Amino acid sequence: MALINKVLPGYVATIWMQEGASPTPLTDAQLATWTGQVADIIGTEAGGTGGGGLLIPVEAVPAFGSDDAVAAYSVAGARTGAKITTQNQVTSLNVTSAWNPADPAQLLIREDGYNGTTIRTYVIAVYDGTDTVAYAFNARIGGLKWDMSPAAEGKYQFAIHPVGGNSYGWSNNT
Amino acid sequence: MTTQLNPVLYGKAIQYQLANIVTPIPVYASFNRNFATEPKFLTWQLRNVHQPVYTGQQQNNKGIDRPVFQISIFTQKIEEGFTISNQVLQSLHGYSGQFGSPSDGFFIAKADVVWLYNSYDNEQNLAQVFLDCTIDVPA
Repeated sequence: MALINKVLPGYVATIWMQEGASPTPLTDAQLATWTGQVADIIGTEAGGTGGGGLLIPVEAVPAFGSDDAVAAYSVAGARTGAKITTQNQVTSLNVTSAWNPADPAQLLIREDGYNGTTIRTYVIAVYDGTDTVAYAFNARIGGLKWDMSPAAEGKYQFAIHPVGGNSYGWSNNT
Repeated sequence: MTTQLNPVLYGKAIQYQLANIVTPIPVYASFNRNFATEPKFLTWQLRNVHQPVYTGQQQNNKGIDRPVFQISIFTQKIEEGFTISNQVLQSLHGYSGQFGSPSDGFFIAKADVVWLYNSYDNEQNLAQVFLDCTIDVPA
């Protein structure tokens, strides 16, 4: 299969997580490996093989990628300084879900947030009906909040904080 | 994860609930020229059945439904229409609980009634009061 070659609507994105209370996150190399690794976490409805992952039912997949990071230097008396890029941090994702207290993914995230140290692999899958592009990363959970504003359904909000470094990878179905 | 709720059930529940509030005044699902024989009656119309749809290929990734039904009150005397509208407001506005009959009903988190406006049709000699009711339905 070829890499998706079209402009996509935002609705094609889903976010998946490894299942299990004590997951073994993928290695840096595995995060960029589709077959047997990333594909297992993505469900079949998004072009994966499923079996090892759960869909996180989010309202929208937030912006993901890396933070912009530079070291800025300046020298007293000199006209110009310099900006040198540093290794960029992987961006944290602030996620909002419609809260269903029995949803298995939301329950696992609640446990991860309580634990504070669990590292789990998350995958953002982009699916055009045939092919999938995946962005996988390892992360911890923080900032659990429940927003019960009466004008809509109750919201379950949390932050996915990537462990950073090289712990992310791109892959696509083959 | 959420399932789409059935508008047929909404209709049956609205009919049952309104008929119970204003009994013995007849309640109809739409205007049907009953002004010729009925001195006062209610009609209702359901609209905006919609659960927000969230990202991804999963059809059940949705929010809750907050449908609206309009209640139209028709009477020959203006005051009677206002009185019936008060019955509806007192019973329905802020109500939380079983909506509809035990067999064709469901739980609503809240009903929110807005008294929209009143009017008068000179040709048919009918006073009219219009209200909107929004119901929040867990799904």
